[in-house]
Amino acid sequence: MTADKEFPGTPLSDEDVSQGKVLITETDPNARYAWDAGIAIGRFLAELKKGRIVGRRCHRCRRTMVPPRMFCEQCFRPTDEWVYLADSGRVNTYSISYIRWDASRVEEPTIPAVIEIDGASKGMGIMHLLGGVKPEDVQMGMRVKAVWKPARQREGSILDIRYFRPY
Amino acid sequence: MGSPEQISQIEDIHYVYGSIPVNFAYTLGVAGERFFREIMENGRFMGTRCQRCEYTYLPPRLYCERCFAGLDDQWVEVGSRGTVEAFTVAHVDLEGQRLAEPQLLALIRLEGADGLLVHRLGETKAEDVDIGLLVAAVLRPRRQRKGSLLDIRYFRPVAA
Repeated sequence: MTADKEFPGTPLSDEDVSQGKVLITETDPNARYAWDAGIAIGRFLAELKKGRIVGRRCHRCRRTMVPPRMFCEQCFRPTDEWVYLADSGRVNTYSISYIRWDASRVEEPTIPAVIEIDGASKGMGIMHLLGGVKPEDVQMGMRVKAVWKPARQREGSILDIRYFRPY
Repeated sequence: MGSPEQISQIEDIHYVYGSIPVNFAYTLGVAGERFFREIMENGRFMGTRCQRCEYTYLPPRLYCERCFAGLDDQWVEVGSRGTVEAFTVAHVDLEGQRLAEPQLLALIRLEGADGLLVHRLGETKAEDVDIGLLVAAVLRPRRQRKGSLLDIRYFRPVAA
């Protein structure tokens, strides 16, 4: 192994920053946003508030898609009808996560999973969390069912489903 | 080929709200550090000069952008007065909100410098500003200075 090459420059230490030895400009830009859910996801979220999972069918390829979309990306034509689906399904794939979204550690791991929803076409599913099960007991293909928030607490969000539990 | 379905009820419009924490700390670098310290501690403006290119950088650069010569020993003081090279009148703030008072923003070339500084103009009105207008820096009192560009409150017109 060769020695580290020395690059010209003026490195900063943590001390320089934490003890204010160098001038620093701090900025906290306002990065709030509102994402427009559109027609398909808009209805999907509205139906979650009512405790239902809704998908969208394409009459040409006969696929039932969830989350729903207004346009069939395989047939290149608008989709045709809304269909209510069960709030149960199978674990397609899962992961055991020991970190939050910002990479900070958690003691109790979460189990994010892709769940193929009953009534939708093979491979169609939504991403959610598994609960009421130990990480070591989760298996692909395992049957799971949605655990909903009480109706009054639901607000038209994917979190209106708390998690999916084995059943 | 659009979708036959449309949203006709305003209640059916769904938004997902979010916020991304993107706060950051920007260090000024060797040249920027000296530039702002000189303003903060001594109330003077320092640039760097490339002898070969006959160009005085302000804000200062540690290297000449034209010939890549090192300039860390080529500090020169420039004036605290300068001329307006370009200006604009801002009616909205960074987030698009209407300002109570329109703000004058200008590119200013300090005496002896070739580079330009962006700053506010004060003690004047848009209709009185012209390109070539002679202006001088109005600094904050020494104890209020923090080593930022806002240690200069604004530039005000002065008589030639």
